Amino acid sequence: MTIIRRAGAALVASALLLTAACGLGQSGSGGGDEDNAPIKIGTLLSVTGPAANLGDKMRKGAELAIDEVNAAGGIGGRMIEWTFYDPAGDTSTAVSQTRRLLDNDGVELVVGGGSQSGIALAMDPLTSAAGKLFIATEGARQIVQPAESHPLTFKTTFNDTAMVERTIEFWKARGITRVAFLPDTTSFGQSAAEEMQRLAPAAGISVEVAPFDPGTNDLTPQISRLAANNPQAYLAWTTAPSGVTFLRNVRAVVPDPAVLVQHGFGFVDDRFFTQAGEAGVGTILTSPKLPVYDLLPDSDPQKAPMAAFADAYRARYGGEQPNVYAGQAYDAVKVAAAAIEKAGGTDGAQLAEAIETLGEHVGVTGVFRYSAEDHSGLAADNAVMIQWDGTRFVPVT
Amino acid sequence: MNTALLLQVLFAGLSIGAVYTLVAVGFGVVWGGTGAINFAQGEYVMLGGVVAAVVLELWGLPLLWCVLIAVAVTGLAGLATEIAILGWGRVRSGEAITLATIAIAVILKGVVMLATDRQTYGLPSFFGDAPLRIGGASASTQMLWNLGTAVLAVLLLAAFFRTTRRGTMLRAAADDREVLQSFGVSFRSTARWAFVLAALLGGLAGAGLAPLTVMSFDSGTLLGLKGFAAAMLGGLGSPYGALAGGLLLGVAEAAVAGYGAPAYADAVAFVVLLVVLFTRPTGLFGQAKVARV
Repeated sequence: MTIIRRAGAALVASALLLTAACGLGQSGSGGGDEDNAPIKIGTLLSVTGPAANLGDKMRKGAELAIDEVNAAGGIGGRMIEWTFYDPAGDTSTAVSQTRRLLDNDGVELVVGGGSQSGIALAMDPLTSAAGKLFIATEGARQIVQPAESHPLTFKTTFNDTAMVERTIEFWKARGITRVAFLPDTTSFGQSAAEEMQRLAPAAGISVEVAPFDPGTNDLTPQISRLAANNPQAYLAWTTAPSGVTFLRNVRAVVPDPAVLVQHGFGFVDDRFFTQAGEAGVGTILTSPKLPVYDLLPDSDPQKAPMAAFADAYRARYGGEQPNVYAGQAYDAVKVAAAAIEKAGGTDGAQLAEAIETLGEHVGVTGVFRYSAEDHSGLAADNAVMIQWDGTRFVPVT
Repeated sequence: MNTALLLQVLFAGLSIGAVYTLVAVGFGVVWGGTGAINFAQGEYVMLGGVVAAVVLELWGLPLLWCVLIAVAVTGLAGLATEIAILGWGRVRSGEAITLATIAIAVILKGVVMLATDRQTYGLPSFFGDAPLRIGGASASTQMLWNLGTAVLAVLLLAAFFRTTRRGTMLRAAADDREVLQSFGVSFRSTARWAFVLAALLGGLAGAGLAPLTVMSFDSGTLLGLKGFAAAMLGGLGSPYGALAGGLLLGVAEAAVAGYGAPAYADAVAFVVLLVVLFTRPTGLFGQAKVARV
């Protein structure tokens, strides 16, 4: 306990990690006899720094899941003891915090990869070397691909491959053959650009790509250049607020309502669309089902779990709406809990095998079907096309 | 030749260049008054944009009021900067003030992050969202506002430096602070003027920028660095130089985004900064100080 207390003191002294301190506070009450020893889970999420907005939602989602598991009596009588650190979007900080989780705090598994794909990618070699299970809440497919070289690493997010496939299906159904694609220059955008250029030509769709810096304040030069080819759809792929600039700029350059304006699954956020105002209305997004859960048919297996999650989240966080990021982190903890239950322990290899043989895990983000080859578990059929109607997201009709 | 694209590049460049100009002018004023580079300048821009949008969201006041309140709050932040560094900190040398402004920048950013709960904020365009269409290109009406305020600020500031007593003092401080103090002008009062003026300009830039994009606690740092590059390009301390540097930088960025490799548009500012530092450290309009020994 002294180590945790000392780590806590260091964090508080840095005066940045108020939320992290809460997490540590909870982890302070451990102990008990051998059979009911708590299960130590370590989590890294960036609740400060550039991705703070995402990280904050993820932390809340993970916290909610842990509280639910503990309120239900833990896993096989063992409570979860949670150790939380905030790398603030910095990879080198994240690496040292991961070492501290594994070496000093003695966590048995790690959930949450710092809210950025780059951080999750850097954490994976450390957790793997320690023989611990790692469930990432970040997007990049390279975190878990190829599965044979990441035997102990899983994630609860869509591979961009699945999202790009779903988007191409949508274009084919609409008879769209010319597309302008604007990914941002982060690994999130560039990875999607690779998949788009690999998959679109086979579907008979010609894609013009113009990447943009996520810190940009004006995209009209890129959009004007792409407009020369008369694309039928403009698709941006980013998680950065400059996606709002994209919406404003594209509607300024291309007012024709027959031309589709689209975003990827990184931009499913009510607040961004409220800020875009008129320019955001009618935007089509490829998304997990969560934003439209209440409008899905009752036959959808995910509807009930999503409704339960959304209600619990709102009740826990003063009416705040959960988003897909909160859902991913919630799922990561729940998948971990299901695996521990099945494996009856926390050995990394046994847990990995338990996840690969879980069958169907109906989560908030989708119906996970993990296998020895697929450590992401989410296929394109879990994604839906949704549209911003000016006040909320609705399924595309 | 695609004229629509050319015009679009020009509009985009002027629109963001106007914001860089206001930031660059702010750097120049503080440099003149204190001999320091104010690294909190970008955070003033962030504060201006965020406060204007928060006021709109919380109280729904008319846009003009939101902007005025944002500029006033940012001005107070400038005053607080001066009081913290020169008052409580008793820092006097330009180098030390420069370092202290980095601390102020970090504090401002942290306070806004906690106060806004990491949210992003947007503001509607001051003259409505309908874009202007000129020669096949579209320009936001916000561009006109930003260009107008930038030019006006530069002209007013130039007049202020030339004709008023306080402006003359600031100019004199830029030339030789010690001689000025020997004439009985307090260093703190010049510094206070410089920081408040710089903050007001930053607040104005931020409120003008918010409708073009969205603002959050994280928006300021990069803008500050780009504004610094613009100030160096034009010549630190010269208002007209800031205008030229800001607009040139904005258009250069837009040209790279439109014609070259868009992914590298944001690197333009730093390449420009390096080239200026290596070849002409006084900038296009700056004058080298000649020291006789």
